[in-house]
Amino acid sequence: MTQTPPNVRVEPARRSLWERASVVWLVPLMALLIALGVAWQTWSDRGPLITITFDEAQGVHARETELRYRDVTVGVVEDVGFSSDLQSVAVDIRLNKDIAPFVDDDAAFWVVSPQVTAQGVSGLDTVLSGVFIEGVWDRVPEGLIPAHRGLTDPPLLRPGQQGRVLTLRSLPGASLTEGTPVLYKGIAVGRVGKTELAPGETAAQSQIVIFSPYDQQLTTATRFWDTSGFSFSIGAGGVELDFSSIASLIAGGVAFETLASGGVPVRDNALFDVFGSESLARESLFSDNSRPGVNLTVIFEDNVSGLSIGSPVELGGVQIGEVISVSGILDPLRFRDQRVRLMVNIEIRPGQLGMGDLSASTDVMDFLDARVAEGLRARLATTSILTGGLKIELVTTDESDSALLDFSGDPFPILPSTDSDIADAAATAQGVLNRVNNLPVEELLQSAIRFLDGAAALTNDPELTAVPGEVRALLGDVRGVVGSEAVQALPAQLSALMLELQGATTDLRAVAADLQAAQAVDRLLAAVDATSAAATAVTDSVTGVPELIASLNTVAQSAADLPLTALVDQATSVVSAADGLLRAPGTQALPDQLGAALQDLQGVLADLRGVTTDLNDTQAVERLLAAVDAASVAATAVTDSVTGVPELIASLNGVAQSAADLPLTALVEQATGVVDAAEQLLRNSGTQELPGQLASALDEVRQVLADLRAGGTVDSLNATLGSARDAAAAIETAAQSLPDISARLNRVLSQATETLEGFEAGSELNRSARGALSEIERAARAVESLAKALERRPNSIILGR
Amino acid sequence: MITARDAGLVGCRRCARAWPAETPVCPTCGSALQSRDMGAMQRVWAWWVAGVMCFFPANLYPMLETRTLFVSQSDTIVGGAIELMHHGAYGIALVIFVASIVIPLGKFIAIAYLALRVRGDKPPAGHGAHKLYHLVEYIGRWSMIDVFVVAILASLVHLGSVASVQPGPASLAFALSVIFTMLSAQSFDSRLIWDRTDVQKGQAA
Repeated sequence: MTQTPPNVRVEPARRSLWERASVVWLVPLMALLIALGVAWQTWSDRGPLITITFDEAQGVHARETELRYRDVTVGVVEDVGFSSDLQSVAVDIRLNKDIAPFVDDDAAFWVVSPQVTAQGVSGLDTVLSGVFIEGVWDRVPEGLIPAHRGLTDPPLLRPGQQGRVLTLRSLPGASLTEGTPVLYKGIAVGRVGKTELAPGETAAQSQIVIFSPYDQQLTTATRFWDTSGFSFSIGAGGVELDFSSIASLIAGGVAFETLASGGVPVRDNALFDVFGSESLARESLFSDNSRPGVNLTVIFEDNVSGLSIGSPVELGGVQIGEVISVSGILDPLRFRDQRVRLMVNIEIRPGQLGMGDLSASTDVMDFLDARVAEGLRARLATTSILTGGLKIELVTTDESDSALLDFSGDPFPILPSTDSDIADAAATAQGVLNRVNNLPVEELLQSAIRFLDGAAALTNDPELTAVPGEVRALLGDVRGVVGSEAVQALPAQLSALMLELQGATTDLRAVAADLQAAQAVDRLLAAVDATSAAATAVTDSVTGVPELIASLNTVAQSAADLPLTALVDQATSVVSAADGLLRAPGTQALPDQLGAALQDLQGVLADLRGVTTDLNDTQAVERLLAAVDAASVAATAVTDSVTGVPELIASLNGVAQSAADLPLTALVEQATGVVDAAEQLLRNSGTQELPGQLASALDEVRQVLADLRAGGTVDSLNATLGSARDAAAAIETAAQSLPDISARLNRVLSQATETLEGFEAGSELNRSARGALSEIERAARAVESLAKALERRPNSIILGR
Repeated sequence: MITARDAGLVGCRRCARAWPAETPVCPTCGSALQSRDMGAMQRVWAWWVAGVMCFFPANLYPMLETRTLFVSQSDTIVGGAIELMHHGAYGIALVIFVASIVIPLGKFIAIAYLALRVRGDKPPAGHGAHKLYHLVEYIGRWSMIDVFVVAILASLVHLGSVASVQPGPASLAFALSVIFTMLSAQSFDSRLIWDRTDVQKGQAA
């Protein structure tokens, strides 16, 4: 037996549950927590379930088909089932939680599936990925609406898109195709929605959308027309093929244009018509034929032909409707006879009455009723004289039979009628022709023939034939008178007269030449030359004898005492006197007397001539010259006495003494006297009278001229004027020699200046001599200025100014 | 047959040497000596629960997300197997079904059976229980074949947007489930099976 320890019952100490728990339990615990956490998060993130019912749910699968908003998945289809009545498919969609509040009342859902149309391919991505449900809603969260009705087609204007939805109604000739573009100036700016038959009408209508900003173009003046297909026309302008776009060629399209300004903006869902062509649309703008008119019946007493369906109904010249039916009416009960009357049904369009689009037909009736009470009546009138067509005119007459619109008329209210205004063109034309026919043409022709016969007889009368011969004889007589010698001699006489005038003018010219020949100027020049020689001699004598200042002083003293100033003054006064003479009233009067430049010139010339002659006669110049000569001799004597004998101072002293004793004063006084005499001469009455005498002489000349003018010829007068011009030229020549005089005087003065400069500066003699010379210079300047004045204005001698 | 415990010995589970019962630490390899691991059952159950918990998402979530040019497809394990079967690939469908569904489930059942059997009063299967235990332990690693295939596919098929394969959330759950199951099986102290056998014997004796 082996010794084994007693079989002890091992009882492990009872430990607490916490102590016995294994750490490993943490693992499933954590897994559980994670699982719970994931589950809770999944549940809490789960969005709400919405149910959308569709008519059909082609391609929609549970847990696959997505709900997209702006092409972003915002939900998944969880279940596809049916509504309780199996009318529609109910699609349960699990929405994303954050998008749910936006899915409110305005949410719209539709199934997007691939579509291939003439406008293009859409929903291409759904070909591979399967269809999806597109949803749109606005951006305002207004709380989740769990049940929605799905759309069969996408909405025309999705929330968030700007545009305007309109309703179009197709007129005959126009078609509306779903999905076709709406074109504006060739741009697709919208599309046509689902097309359906308008309720209660025979036209198709559809909703269209026009996207912003093109919806701004829409006004009540907007017109739509069908651009589908193409138009092909052959006309005078050639073959024309027109279609707007390939898409519209295949599938059609609707174009619109706002054809006139002034329309008011349209509201949403406004109703427009689609016209068959653009031209129809344009026409419609001015004649709204689309709206039903107001029908009336007019019964005319006359039963005339010419009125037909479509004939216009006019009010004040404006067509407001047309005839829709013409028939006869026989109503014995109403008219109490058996006549068949003309019953016309007319349609009046309110639009052309200008009553606006919104006026109801009752408004039109009220309007017409009021007008009928005022006297509005219907009458038949002629449309065209040539065709004889008739129209119905609504005119206001003076009839006051108080007729009213007869609303009891069947089928339409009856508009009262009045007398017709039918111009029977055929009758009128026939009347005109009858008048023409009745004209007395035959008698008229007879009278004409008789008249022509009488005229022929008159023409053939011998007396009348002789008249031209007599006229010719008369003309011959006249020619004889004209050719007579007396008449022929007239020009020669005139010519002689002119020659005489010319001779007179030549005389005048000779006078001027005489004036030139007087040589007064030359003599004056000689005198000046002599003075110059004397001055030279003085210069010679004083050079080299400065020591004889004392005696020369004396001479200078006496020279200074010479009244040269007075002489010059007197000379100046002489000139002044001459000037005064020229300014004398008699002289001044000459131009007036002559009345013309010629007379003035001649008068002055004669005057001058007389003066010159006087001067010559009185020999004043000669005396002056003699005086100057004497001075010159004296100067020469001084020269002689001083030249060559510088050494003989004593003698020279004596000479100087004698020179001092020279009666220069007397000389000057003598010269003064001469000048005075000249002045006296000028001032004497004889001289003064000269102008008067000349004036009288000129009067005679004028008389001559007047005579000449009386019978003279123009040529002679011209020659006279030429002579006068020559005389003026001669005077000018004479005047031109005056500068020479002044030049020589200048020279003399220069020499005198030299002479005086030879003297000692500061000496009394020098000053005196210089003063004297200044005086002479001033005198010379006066003469020079006179000469210049004459040179500048030679006519001043003539004019005295 | 006598157990070490019956012989007053304790066997080292690492180096398999037997020591007297009171020896606390194996003098040879230094690991702690314990005749019976009384906390083992807790660990077994803990891992087992974790494994079962992971098994649900592993089958509910998609295992593989396949994206080609337009189509994105995600399949669960069972869904994939069924689809393969629809395409006529019955063999592959069977392999996947067995490897991914049958074996993991069998392991759960086997471990649970063993754990209950050890604890309960029912007579053990004797040697059969041991064989079952070894089978579970052996086969456990092969359960990762699914995850392995997914990992290879995800790394191989990577053609950008044209085609790509990505492991789904189920692959992670499946891998965890397999790992937890293996840990559960390992935590099982197979010596307890003997004890029950002893009890049976003793009762029988």
